Amino acid sequence: MINIALPKGRLGEKICGLLSRAGYDFDGINEGGRRLVFMNEALNMRCFWVKPFDVGVYVERGVADVGFAGKDILMECQPDVYELMRLEAGKCRMCAAGMKGFRDMSERPLRVATEFPNIAREYYGRMGRDIDVIELRGSMEIAPLLGLSEVIVDVVESGTTLRENELEVIAVICEISARFIANKSAYKFKGEAIREMMRRIAHDNDNA
Amino acid sequence: MYDDVLTLNELYGLKLRKLYHSYGYKHKTMSRFEDYDFYAKHKDFLTSQNILTFTDINGRLMALRPDITLSMIRTGITGKYYYDEKVYRLKGKSENINVNGGHGSSRWCEISQSGIECIGGLIVEDITQVTRLALLSLREISGGKNYALDVADAGTARSLIPQINRANILKCIQDKNIDGLKELNAPQELLHMASIDGDVASGLHYLSDECRQVITALNDPHIRIDFSALSNLTYYNGLVLKGYIEGIPHAVLYGGQYDEMLRELGHNGVRGMGFAVYMGNIGGIVGD
Repeated sequence: MINIALPKGRLGEKICGLLSRAGYDFDGINEGGRRLVFMNEALNMRCFWVKPFDVGVYVERGVADVGFAGKDILMECQPDVYELMRLEAGKCRMCAAGMKGFRDMSERPLRVATEFPNIAREYYGRMGRDIDVIELRGSMEIAPLLGLSEVIVDVVESGTTLRENELEVIAVICEISARFIANKSAYKFKGEAIREMMRRIAHDNDNA
Repeated sequence: MYDDVLTLNELYGLKLRKLYHSYGYKHKTMSRFEDYDFYAKHKDFLTSQNILTFTDINGRLMALRPDITLSMIRTGITGKYYYDEKVYRLKGKSENINVNGGHGSSRWCEISQSGIECIGGLIVEDITQVTRLALLSLREISGGKNYALDVADAGTARSLIPQINRANILKCIQDKNIDGLKELNAPQELLHMASIDGDVASGLHYLSDECRQVITALNDPHIRIDFSALSNLTYYNGLVLKGYIEGIPHAVLYGGQYDEMLRELGHNGVRGMGFAVYMGNIGGIVGD
């Protein structure tokens, strides 16, 4: 059996569509509700919804053989998994942003609010800038607005939320999108089925 | 005889000892406490750059041994040895350690290893024997499940991976991240090498003559040529081994040739190869 970890939320919905177009349908997966596990008996496949940040954990620990995770999450958590394919779904940018007109002139550590402390430390480390990381779990844009931080490091898709909160992008740290990942051990023993998934998904991905 | 009182790891440990003993390897015991200076000087060879230290009663800075091979090389011994030992490493995402997974906050771990070291004037038959013992070790601990031994040639990888962006390129190869390699403008030959997916026939091209002889002589269906098995390129220079058992999510065996490390440590003209079975990784079989 192939077990698939799917990220809940918008990216997960896109991945569901991708899987369906690739011939992998799961009964009831688009019906909403609170069910988390779905089967396709004919294909001997099972998929389940998990929090986007947890996809790498499920795959690394072998509970899922494969999964779909954003590059931002892979960079942040660095799970020991195979990163087999870059997908067109979930395209956005990891950015540093601050209030409009903000200039980093202070000598004290820059206060950075983020859900991605490792990415923030790595980026500012490369810049040689000391930072004070403030870990938040969402609504990042409010942090500079209320004076909690000077800067945020977060995923930016269209930039609308930034603009509506008087923020602007200071630097693009990297481009990100969804990745198809696999457990390293499962890949040795279920490689044929996983590579077949890759082939079918790649066909749709190339035409996206 | 003691099957009813032994834990699974103890049972497998005994089976492995018996296996290595039957091939003429001698048992070796080493102290867990060593001078910190030695490891501090040779940090490049360690999986984790962090070392667990303490001060002994004479005020000397000591280390809890982070690596068996280095510890053995330090003594200057040659020959064929097997061991059941523990190493102490920092585990966690900040270290990106490939043992037992790397997610969660960092913490010190005691890791049980059973393995062998073959040090001396190694010839191709010795390298073949060590690789055969790696295969037999996987069979012994697989409990009847399927197993796979990934092999790669660190020498080829060293010659193909450019110095610029070396660490990032190596990480992409380890993760089979071909898109990432393209982003890093990795040469075409490297892309081909990283794309080899276990197939021995197409992978032999990327092995040195010596490695090729070993793999051809063994002709074992459990061997896969796969450069994602590469690890620290400072540590290994020739054949690299990484073993998996079906149902266990992490690799259970790591090893390879470390001739150049021996030379760096002052043992000229001596070659070495070994591997370790990570006993703590054997327990975690995931049900289907």
